[in-house]
Order: sequence, then C-alpha cells, then structure tokens
Amino acid sequence: MAPPPIVTGLSPNEGAPGTRIKIRGENFGSQPGDLIGLTICGMDCLLTAEWKSPNKIIAISGPIKGKGDVIVTTKYGGTGTCNVTFRGYHLATIGPMKESAVWVEETPMYSWGRHSLSPSSFQQEDPLGLSVEETENKISEEELQNYFPGKCGDIGSQNFSPAWFLLENHQATSFNDIKAGLVYLTRKVHSQKEGQLSFLKANLNSIMDQIDTLMNLRERYEKDLSVFGSTPTIKLERAIKESEREARKLFDDVLSRKDRAEKTRNALNVLQRYKFLFCLPCVIEKNIKKGEYDIVINDYMRVKNLFDKTEVPIFREALNEVEKRIVELQNKLHTDLQTMPITVDQQKRLIRYLVNLDCPFDAAWDAIKSRWEYINKKFKEIYNFHKNTDKLESSKKQNSASKYSKLQIEVISVPACINFTDEICAVTSELFPDLWKIGQAYFSGELQVKIEAGRQVEYKHMVLTAIDSYSKYIRASIIPNTLDKSDRTQYGSLSSLERDEISLYLPELLRSVRSTYSTLIQLDLPNEALDIVSALLVDLRIHCMSILFQQTTEQIKHLSENWKISFSGKYTGVTELPLKFLRLIEDVIQIVKESALSAEQRETTLLDNVSAQKELEKQIDNILSAFYMVLNNLSSTEDFEDCDDNSPVVSQLIGTPVGSQKPDVIHDIPTWEHRLLITLSNCIFTKNTILNDIATKFRETGFSSVDTPIGVNRNKLEMLEKSILDRYLEQKSDPLVGTIEPSMYLGRFDWDINVPPTDIRPYAKECINNLINVHSEINNISTNLLDTILVKIVETIAEELYRLMSCVQKFSKEGAQQAKVDIEALQEMFKDYMSDNAHGHFKEALTHIPVLDGAQMTLVQDILKQCRARMRTQIICLRKH
Amino acid sequence: MAKKLAVQPSLHKVIMVGSGGVGKSALTLQFMYDEFVEDYEPTKADSYRKKILLDGEDVQIDILDTAGQEDYAAIRDNYFRSGEGFLCIFSITEDESFQATQEFREQILRVKNDENIPFLLVGNKCDLEDKRKVSLQEANDRAKQWGVPYVETSAKTREHVDKVFYDLMREIRARKMDENKTNNGRGKDKSKKKKHCCLFMCC
Ligand SMILES: Nc1nc2c(ncn2[C@@H]2O[C@H](COP(=O)(O)OP(=O)(O)OP(=O)(O)O)[C@@H](O)[C@H]2O)c(=O)[nH]1
Ligand SMILES: [Mg+2]
Repeated sequence: MAPPPIVTGLSPNEGAPGTRIKIRGENFGSQPGDLIGLTICGMDCLLTAEWKSPNKIIAISGPIKGKGDVIVTTKYGGTGTCNVTFRGYHLATIGPMKESAVWVEETPMYSWGRHSLSPSSFQQEDPLGLSVEETENKISEEELQNYFPGKCGDIGSQNFSPAWFLLENHQATSFNDIKAGLVYLTRKVHSQKEGQLSFLKANLNSIMDQIDTLMNLRERYEKDLSVFGSTPTIKLERAIKESEREARKLFDDVLSRKDRAEKTRNALNVLQRYKFLFCLPCVIEKNIKKGEYDIVINDYMRVKNLFDKTEVPIFREALNEVEKRIVELQNKLHTDLQTMPITVDQQKRLIRYLVNLDCPFDAAWDAIKSRWEYINKKFKEIYNFHKNTDKLESSKKQNSASKYSKLQIEVISVPACINFTDEICAVTSELFPDLWKIGQAYFSGELQVKIEAGRQVEYKHMVLTAIDSYSKYIRASIIPNTLDKSDRTQYGSLSSLERDEISLYLPELLRSVRSTYSTLIQLDLPNEALDIVSALLVDLRIHCMSILFQQTTEQIKHLSENWKISFSGKYTGVTELPLKFLRLIEDVIQIVKESALSAEQRETTLLDNVSAQKELEKQIDNILSAFYMVLNNLSSTEDFEDCDDNSPVVSQLIGTPVGSQKPDVIHDIPTWEHRLLITLSNCIFTKNTILNDIATKFRETGFSSVDTPIGVNRNKLEMLEKSILDRYLEQKSDPLVGTIEPSMYLGRFDWDINVPPTDIRPYAKECINNLINVHSEINNISTNLLDTILVKIVETIAEELYRLMSCVQKFSKEGAQQAKVDIEALQEMFKDYMSDNAHGHFKEALTHIPVLDGAQMTLVQDILKQCRARMRTQIICLRKH
Repeated sequence: MAKKLAVQPSLHKVIMVGSGGVGKSALTLQFMYDEFVEDYEPTKADSYRKKILLDGEDVQIDILDTAGQEDYAAIRDNYFRSGEGFLCIFSITEDESFQATQEFREQILRVKNDENIPFLLVGNKCDLEDKRKVSLQEANDRAKQWGVPYVETSAKTREHVDKVFYDLMREIRARKMDENKTNNGRGKDKSKKKKHCCLFMCC
C-alpha cells in the first residue's frame, strides 16, 4: 500500500469553469493508470485529469461554484487529502446565446428574456445602492442554505429571499443604511415606471406612425375579405398543399436518392464502427502467424465482451468466424504445449494463453503429463539406442576376440551400458527439474488454473515413477543383481561388463549419478523421491567398492615373486612381494576412499550401512586370502629339476651350492630350499608387519570391522608358516640327521674299541659342517629365521644322538671317552641354538655313556680343548654375533 | 468538523509579491517541490500549503503566489489582506522590477496598516551575476531604509531559497507571539458576536 495522495498546491487557486488547473502534491502514483479519481470541489474531474508525474496532475475545472477541496484518489494510496482550496465562480450568467466551455443546466436561467427586454434592467450587483461589503466575513452559501432551505439570494429568482440577500451582502450594514437602501430601491423602481411614460412621450412620432400602419393593415384586410370571400385561409391552404405536391414531385426523386445515399452512408458507418469485429478474423490470423498471441487474446476478450450476447446475425457470423480461428489457435497452442522439448517458461506462457482463451483443455495438467511422458519416452529412446549399439559391439567383440589380443579389445570405445547410464543421468538432470518446476507452478497456483482433486496424488506418482525408473534403468545396466527378476526384464539388460572394464568407469559413473542427485536435491524434492536415488547411490557405492576390491584381489592373485631379497631399507630378509601386496591394498583403499566412501550431500557414510560392512568384510577376507594363496602356492610348487638335486642320499650333498644349478633353469630363480626360506620369511613378515599395517590403514580410512578377516588370515599365515617350516626342516634336517648314523658307523666302527680318542669323530665334524651349511643358507636369506630353524635341527640332532647312544650295546673305556668327546663337542658347538629339549636329549645321551674317572676325564677335556682350537672357525660360524 | 477540532499545527500565511517574471513562482515551486521551471507562465493566483519543521516545531506554511502582471493588479488588494508575511521579490537582472518593489511595499503597508509587518526584500536570479542590473548596494540601502532584511536568491540553484521562507516564518511566528501577549482573545470575541447576530436574524 502506498501512502495516500496529498494535494499541496493549486495553480491557479480559483477560476471559472473550464480553468486549467495544475494540481501539485505528493503520492499521485507512479504512472497514469494509478490515478483513479479526482474531484474538484466535489465535482468529478477524472475525465479531464492528465497525470504528469507523481506530484503533478493537470485537470480542467467543471461548473463549480464556491470553495472546495481537490481530492486525488490513487490505486494504491486510496483517497487522499487536500491542504489548499479551489474557488470556482461563474464569470457571468450563461445564456442560451452565449458560448460556454462547459455544460450548464439552463433551467434556473429562466429570467433572461425579461431582463433583456426591459429597457433598464436591474443592476443586480447592488440593488440597494450600498457598496458591497468585504468578502472576508461572509456567511457561506451552505449556511444560508441551512437557514433558508430552497431559497436563494438571486434577486431575479422566484425563490428570492430578501433575508438571504441581506445576510449575504449587507450583513454588517447598519439598519439605517439598509433603510436608506430601501428608499434607493423604491426610487429606482419608480423611476423605471416613470421611465416607461417618458419613453412614450419621447417617441410620440414613431408611435403615431405605428398606429397609422396598423390602421392601414386593417383596411387592406377588410378589402380582401370582400374580394376573396370570408375564408381566404382555406384557399390559401389549398394553394399551399398544391405547391407542396408540386414540390414533392420535383424533389421525391432527389429525396429518394438522398435516402439511399443516407442508407449507404449508414451501412458504411456501421462497417466503419464495427470494422474491428469484421476485420478480426483476418487480424487474428495475421497475429497468430506472427506469434503475437497476447494481442490475439486481447482482441478476443474485447470482442467477446462487446458482442458475445449480440443477436445481430452479421455480428454472430463474424463472431463465429473469430471463434473458429480461436479454436484453431487453442488446438495449435495445445499441441505446442505438449511438443517436447519446450522450456518451462514457454509452457507457462502457452498455459496462460490457453487459460486466457478459455480453452476446454486442462492445459496445465496436460503440460505436466506431457513432460512426464517425455521423460519416459526419452528413457526408452536412450535405452533402445544403446541396446542397438550394444548389440553391434558385442557381435564385434565376438568376431574380434579371436583375432586381436586382449589389449586391443580394451581399446574399443566406451561400453554401451556406461554410455547409457551417463546419458540417462544427463537426461534426468536436464528434464526432471522442468517436470518438477511446472508441477510446483501448477500446485502453487501460479498457473492460475483450477487444481482438480486427486491431481496431487497423481503428480506424486509421476514424480516417483520417473525417479524410480531412472534408478531402475541404472540398476539394470550396472548392478542388475539388486533388481527383482520382473524389473530386470522390464528395464532390460545391456550386456554387463567385465570387472576390469567396469572398474575403469565406475568412479566416473558414480560422479554422474551424484551430479543428478545433487540436481534433484536442489529441487527440494520430497524425501520419498530422493531416497530412491539415495538407495541407488548406496548400492552403487557398495558395488563400486566391491568391484575395486575384487579387482585388487585379482591383481594380488597375479602377483609374482622375483626372489630378490632386499637387504637394505626398512625391511630386510624379505622380497618385494609383501610390500607389493601392501601397496596394492593401500592403493585400493585410496581409490575406494575417494570414490565410494566419500559421502556427499545427503549421503550416509557408507560404512554405517550393514550390508556395506558385510561386503567389505568379505572383500577384505578375499584380498587377504588371495595373498595367502599366493604364498601358499609359492611354498608348495617344487620344480622337478631342483627336486632331483634335493634328494641326497649321501652326505655333503645337502644344500646345493648356487653354481650347481642346471643351465636351463632361469638364473634368477633360486633353489627350492631358498624359495622355501624366502617364502617363509615373507610369510612371517606379512604376518607380523604387513597385516598390522593393513589393519591400521583400514582403520584410518574408517573401515572398523577388519579385525575378523585379519585375525583369520593371521592364523592362516601362521599355519602356513609352520607348514613351510616343516617342509624345510624335512628337506634339511632329515637328511642331515639321517647321515649321522651311517656316518657314525662308517667303516664298521664300534664303540667297544680300544683306540683312545684323539679328536672328535668325522660324523660329528660332518654334522657340525652340515649345520653350518644350513646356517649359512638361512643366513643368506634372513637371520631372523636362524633361531627358529637351527634350534629345531639341533633338537633333532640331539634326539638322534640320544637314540644312537641308547642303542649302543657296549662302550669300551676308550669308546666311552670318544663318545663323551663327540657329544660334549657337539653340545658346545650347538649351544647357541640349544632348546631345553635338545639340552635334555644331550644330557640323556650322556647318561648312556659309562661314567669316566678323573684321568679319563682329563683326556676328554684335553681333546676338547684341542678341538676348540682347531675348530675355531666353525665355532665362530655357529655363534650369535 | 472533526478536522477542525484536531490540533492543527500553527499556520503561517506567506504572500509572494513582485513584478511579473521575477521568479515568484519559481521560488515557490523550488521551495515546495525542489523543482525549477524554465518556462514562464504568468501566474494569476496560486495556493500552496504544506507541513514543515520550523526550529523543531511542526508548522504549516501557506504560500499565496500572486500575479506580477499588471493585468491582475486589481485583485491584489484582496489577497494582501490575508497575508501574515511578505516576500517582496525583484529580479537583480531587471531594474524596473526593483523600482516596482517600492509600489508593492506601499500597497502592503496601506492594506495591512502595519509598519512592522514581516517582510523580506528578495533579489532573485542571483545566478545571473553577469546580467546584474541592480547593485547589491542599492538593494541593501533600500532594505535598510525600510528596516527589512535583504537576501539574494536563485530559484535556479536553490541558493537561499529555504532561507528566505524560513526567515520570514520566524518573523511571523515572533510577531504572533507578541500579538498573543498583548491582545489575547480579542479576535475570538468578535466572531462570536457575529454568530449571535446571524442567529438572531434567522429567527
Ligand atoms: N536564471 C534564473 N531564472 C529564473 C530564476 N527564477 C525564475 N527564473 C525564470 O524567470 C522566468 C519567470 O519566472 P516565474 O517564477 O514564472 O515568474 P513570476 O514572478 O512567477 O511571474 P508572474 O507569475 O507573472 O508574476 C521563468 O522563465 C523562470 O525560469 C532564477 O533564480 N534564475
Ligand atoms: Mg508566477
């Protein structure tokens, strides 16, 4: 609401009817149309008002008398107020012979005739001959009207009231003055009467002339009477009639022609007047062609207002013609409205036209429906298009698979289902907002159409099905497993992709869906609709994650061992394999984090989702198991060549020197034992370090439920570790231990000898050397393994010795000394790798040797001392540094 | 009726006098509506009235813009009677208009019969310095002689436009306060008497 108008200035502030007045003030509206009322002294002057500016109006005063306000009324400010007054006056009485700028009621002007005839009319201004008073304290006309209803102060009027006259003009005049005035008036009236007499006197001559003339006239008339009889008028009448008849004869023709001309003119006039109507069909057609629908509508409304109820047949006919054009236009607009593509604004405009044209269709609803159908149609179109390209491609693939290498197949353009998903996202982002916008406009009343019952439900259904089919199309082409069977057939199937292929596109695809999703979110869709896409996104993300992990699993399965042990860097004694494994996992975690895991607008953290968590757990388990399998495979494949080498029957052949490898074996691949050791080392490293690293990595990323798979696989690795160890020991210690007995009794040796000992026996030396060999082999790979393996071997050696000693039937004194020397020496040599078990076995072995006396012991000690000196190198070899 | 009963801010009636074309209407329109009218349209009699703030007090100013043209000279007497203060305008570019101020002054004094009537001598069109015909000295001398202030204005640049109106209103206000003190209530009695007389006559 604008402030009310206020008039603060009038130029001029008084005037006769027809005065051009500049009205100034404030708040006269902002355009000419805002001015909807103007009264000057109560007289409506809107007709002549000319709006100039928000504070200036020019108007022409009407026939006003007296003072009054100038009131402006505007559309938005209402009726205003006025600070100043306008005084209207009549310059002079307006007679029938006088021109006047305005219409003046003539009835009160009856007295003009008499006045003009009387030789000396009253000086109406001042009949009492007293000067007229100052106007200052005048009693207003209204007041006088109150005192003397129906009277007036006009001395010439029938309703003349002397009291009114006196109050109006001589309010302050003293009584004596008024009396004097009366005398004056009386004298004036007298003089007027006297004047008539003197008038006669003065003009006696001419009056006499007039009397003579009258006499003459009378004489002539009487003479005529005798000549023409007593009824000359009848004759006269007859003559007049005769002449009239003659005249008619002369003029009838002319008159009839004139009549015809008049009729033609009338017809022309009618045509001219209703030109608008008759030309309208043409004009409408022209404007339709030009697309000026607003003008057409305007014209149509006007013609309807003017002629809708007309009974005149020609008008009806013209109107029907117009009507026909309008119906055509309606149909055209209605078709346009539903012809896609079209913008929402265009549709809105067309709807407005149709509504204004009173069309029988529910234009707005049709617009919505057509949009919805368009989306559905577009979906199908895109689908069919890609179905075709898909067919082409897959046939191509089948043909080419045999001819080209796998690499070349990958070069083939983006697969159909990806293109399809991409396009359907784009189409949804583009088309759906319009459906929503026009729907909003419809229900918010912006389209100014009646909303029929049930439309809300129907519209909601449309919105939901549109989004639902969007979601289902994507599911069908990317993650068909999340659809029901029936949906799967309905939404078709583009050939699904290989894992490696799809993993290439998945992150990009996820981005497309997300961008559509954010478009939809911006539309303020109901949650019900958004949740459909949200669920789709969750499934896609899980799928994406799963695919990425699967891919990694696959990569891990193909990891190969290069058998190169790294001695430098953070981790020694291991090959690159476990680190590669770790790196692969780190990589996949990074990718998953970037694509699937990151939660965008209105998305939940994926890992809160139970099924996602389960899937993840499964995938982690798969990955870890895959690596386990890799290690397992590495530890179980023996190659035959090596096998031959590694089945020694004879001593010294344990542990194959590097140089003795067969020439056809690839240089880089070490011997079977080495490979076992390397794998073992890797296995332990993986178990102790890598698994922890992986667990931390996962946890850092937010995967919390990794403990179970890690634990399971840790156990698996432990088992593997044991089995490798067993296998290695089997490989190493069995032959080693197995040689002790034959070596001990080589040359039919008997403990019941009588040769005193001088040194430890060769079997012991051999045993020591063998162990040193194993030691060096392991040391080459990983010192960490020494403890585990050597201890085990020493244990078996000790056990074997114990077994051998317990089997000895008889010791001679010398034999006992020898055995003591051997076993003590061995025990001393192996002491760094001695387990309690081994220790026990040695001890028990010693108990089977007969007790020696002091002198005998001295010899033993001597030999041991010599031995220590001789075998210093060996001792150093087996010492922990 | 209600309108009359409501407390109305005091009303000061100002009359613009001066020869034709000196800029009375221009000054008035500039004061009232901040606009300058280039075209010369001789005035007959224009009324303006608006609320303004005079030294923190709400007052109404009523401006009667009179005709300078001789054709309308006869109706002046009547107008002058209702004025409470006068802005007597001449154009500094036209000596004749300056000479005419003498006549206006006399006429006002005759009608108002009051030597101390609030009155300002105003030399308008001071933006046209290069066309000046009436020197500042001359004008000042005359003002001093009359015992009134002299201000030079420009309706075109708005220079001193507000000043002349506000100064005049202050004088009017001061005059009224004096009057109220000396002859409080006399006017009212007079009007009451007249009412009685009317009533008597109609009975
Ligand atoms: N340059 C200039 N021109 C002015 C000034 N004041 C008025 N005019 C011009 O002088 C001409 C006459 O101005 P009006 O205000 O109409 O004169 P007036 O005194 O009202 O004349 P009457 O109504 O005939 O008495 C107009 O063309 C104005 O544009 C002024 O201060 N400077
Ligand atoms: Mg003027």
